[in-house]
Amino acid sequence: MLRYIAYRLLAAIPTLFLISALVFIIIELPPGDYFETYVAELQAQGETVDPKKIEYLKQEYGFDQPLIERYFTWVGGMLQGDFGYSFEYELPVSEVVGNRLWLTILVSTITIIFTWLIAFPIGIYSATHQYSWSDYGLTFLGLLGLATPNFLLALILLYFANVWFGTSIGHLMDAQYIDQPMSWPKFWSMAEHMVIPVIVIGTAGTAGMIRRLRANLLDELQKQYVVTARAKGVPPTRALLKYPLRMSLNFFIADIGSILPAVISGAEVVAIVLSLETTGPLLIRALQSQDMYLAGSFLMFLATLTVIGVLVSDIALAILDPRIRLQGGRR
Amino acid sequence: MISRAGWFAAMAAAATFTLVSAGFAEEPPSLKEAVESGKLPPMEERLPDVPRVIDMAAHGKTNGAYGGTLRMLMADAKDIRMMTIYGYSRLVGFNEQLEIVPDILESFEVEEGRIFTFHLRPGHRWSDGHPFTAEDFRYAWEDVETNEALSRGGASAVMLVDGELPTFEVVDELTVRYTWAKPNPQFLPSLAGASPNYIAQPAHYLKQFHEKYATADELAAKVKAAGSRDWVALHTVKARAYRPENPELPTLEPWMNTTPPPAERFVFKRNPFFHRVDGEGNQLPYIDEVYLGISSADIIPAKTGTGDSDLQARYLRFDNFTFLKESSEQHKFDVKLWKDGTGSQVAYLPNLNVSDPVWRELFRDARFRRALSLGIHREEINQQFYYGLAQPAANSVLEGSPLYKPQYAQAYAEYDPDRANALLDEIGLKRGADGVRLLPDGRRAEIIIEMAGGTEETDVTQLVTEYWGTLGIKVFSRAMQLDNMRRRFLSGETMMSVWAGLNVGLATPDMPPEELAPVSAVQGTWPQWGQYLETNGVAGEKIDVPEVARLAELFQAWRVSSTTEERTAIWHDMLAIYTDQVFTIGTVNGVLQPVVVRNTLKNVPAEGIYAFSPVSFFGVYMPDTFWFDKE
Repeated sequence: MLRYIAYRLLAAIPTLFLISALVFIIIELPPGDYFETYVAELQAQGETVDPKKIEYLKQEYGFDQPLIERYFTWVGGMLQGDFGYSFEYELPVSEVVGNRLWLTILVSTITIIFTWLIAFPIGIYSATHQYSWSDYGLTFLGLLGLATPNFLLALILLYFANVWFGTSIGHLMDAQYIDQPMSWPKFWSMAEHMVIPVIVIGTAGTAGMIRRLRANLLDELQKQYVVTARAKGVPPTRALLKYPLRMSLNFFIADIGSILPAVISGAEVVAIVLSLETTGPLLIRALQSQDMYLAGSFLMFLATLTVIGVLVSDIALAILDPRIRLQGGRR
Repeated sequence: MISRAGWFAAMAAAATFTLVSAGFAEEPPSLKEAVESGKLPPMEERLPDVPRVIDMAAHGKTNGAYGGTLRMLMADAKDIRMMTIYGYSRLVGFNEQLEIVPDILESFEVEEGRIFTFHLRPGHRWSDGHPFTAEDFRYAWEDVETNEALSRGGASAVMLVDGELPTFEVVDELTVRYTWAKPNPQFLPSLAGASPNYIAQPAHYLKQFHEKYATADELAAKVKAAGSRDWVALHTVKARAYRPENPELPTLEPWMNTTPPPAERFVFKRNPFFHRVDGEGNQLPYIDEVYLGISSADIIPAKTGTGDSDLQARYLRFDNFTFLKESSEQHKFDVKLWKDGTGSQVAYLPNLNVSDPVWRELFRDARFRRALSLGIHREEINQQFYYGLAQPAANSVLEGSPLYKPQYAQAYAEYDPDRANALLDEIGLKRGADGVRLLPDGRRAEIIIEMAGGTEETDVTQLVTEYWGTLGIKVFSRAMQLDNMRRRFLSGETMMSVWAGLNVGLATPDMPPEELAPVSAVQGTWPQWGQYLETNGVAGEKIDVPEVARLAELFQAWRVSSTTEERTAIWHDMLAIYTDQVFTIGTVNGVLQPVVVRNTLKNVPAEGIYAFSPVSFFGVYMPDTFWFDKE
């Protein structure tokens, strides 16, 4: 096991290096740079910029240097914990991202738990009551959540929350609680505002999870050992939960690899529509305006989390299912 | 500094009005505690010896009461620069009649259009209480603007006349003078601009970041602590006044930022040393605090409609009007309609520098541009999208501008498809079998219009596609990212682009007519010519259309003109050429801009012009005079 982990960690270094190069190239690919975007934006609003000042900024941020040199400055900085500078915010990237990270983790974690709480019982129920009306009904509901465009659902809920409950539009709390220390009113305001994003993002994820759990569990339920257990009089709940459910959870553990980055990036589109103070809108805005170090660092961060997440799920799978063997590095 | 006795003398010398009313003046309640505990001097000492007195009645306003919090919504942390624009505290500024008057300055003199003498208000202080003096001008000029490290690209263009810098002198502690060899008419408008030319900076604060004044060790420690590259980067960030991100930077604006970014809400507090008072001697601004909430642009109309903003125009469009009006009663606000200040709401810019030689030839033919303009049914666009409330017009100055003439607004702006067809026939564009005209080289006349705007541009363009289709010109529209579009028109790939019209629809003769002539590569009509002039011939193309060359000449003449009469004549020459030649094809102007105002917020004009330049959106209507009435 240790040998396997060591091998995987070593393999992550060239992987991340390659990813960093790809990320940098892709962000550099569109013509122009942040400053051209910036000038275009100002000009569209009637403002003008002295071309000399822009020239100065370009020099200041090293845009007159060759591509390869800028790449190594960036990667070198990241190795020392310096993620570069956001032009848009005129701040170090770490400061821009820092504030929003915790709210994003909060929203995402609650959403994931919400998804599990809904999907697990439904999935198990559908599998054990296959082809019944309730199976169809619940699956239909789940698919409806998947099929409704998230942004639309968000807008509709936003409207009704405001009309019925007077919840202020968008954001994760009422304006007066921003930059206030945590208190009960602030907590309630946050809980109130959290409902919509959690429902919207959560419903989108449940359908997939229900279907996969249902399919996997159905496979297991028809196996010989389950039939035998039932025949020998093992109570039905135990005969369901002890082995079949555990065996059908492989997909769920394998998902952890993608959950980690998802926790950080949040659901971007919904976050934009609801104007949430999470990292999603930040990333999209950074990509649009070619704020490259912010976008790049963010993508690198997500890539690192994916690599770690996949490793975690591999190890967890090995623990969960003794049939799985770890053989990394052996030929 | 002037002594206390001197202060009384100055007061006596100033309008007796101020003296008499000083007795009524009241300390803002929010500052009382600080004054009583001795943290702040009393109001008489905080104000300049001769404050700027705003006669509310003359502006159709009423004297107000102190207090309250003004909440507004912005879409981006960068938008905190709107506070600098709305606050509109300038050395000299435009008034509502668009004349340039002293604001921070007590007075100024201009000789021969090239010698500018500025007199400061004695006793005027920065927001941290430090005196504002000639030293701040000297620092901004000698240690920043002409400092090789801080201004690597050299001084800003507006400070150069024929490439020459002015001589700067400190006459005395409260008087400075800038002298050019030739007139510099751009100088005062640049100081009065929505994005002003900062020729005075708080030297006492900034010196700690300047290599010349700070000790090397301390500076190095500060650079390290801030995570900056070097002292130049640090100074640049710390000194940024337009986008007031540094809460420590002293300011002369009515409100000062107290929140360092990144933040979801920026809190601006009143500047206790602000230099304006009302007729009763009360120090402005009336409102204590301004909150700028950051939301995404898409939900700002919705948030405004549910009462989350006390004063909002930015990110609202005319299509939001019905929704806002509907919810106005429940959420206790009023929706005023101001006029948009751009020369044309949606304008079509044929690219005279397009790389396709056949199209370039056509676009440079005035008859072709005129035909396209005559083919647009502007009244129908007006009825269809603006409820008939806008004015069908060519892209020109608006009626409120002193330069307005009906013949500019009406030049080729009537709907006359017969004349348009006749013009196209005269050029020799014959119709093919399917009614689409054929270019001289046999290709079909198909124009691709590129746009980066929202639904409004798309909607109007749909109608225009129809209109030009009946003339036998097929139109395809293509939406893209703004910056992409700009690069494309500069490289000559774009045939025609859609933008708003002249930004200065309310131009005065003293404002530079730079939008009417090729001056920069960001102009969609003639990017290559603009670039040629901008780079002194290093890049771009030389102008080879006589009318455009004439416009460039006239603009150069404006740049060295010394009197307003001269400048008026130049503006009229340029407007006449520009509209007669139809270099840009306008549609409608004077579109209404919804302005949401909380019912209790007083002194917001019922009618106004909404534009970046020259009125600085709310700026010239002085938000520091707005106040909250008790419900």
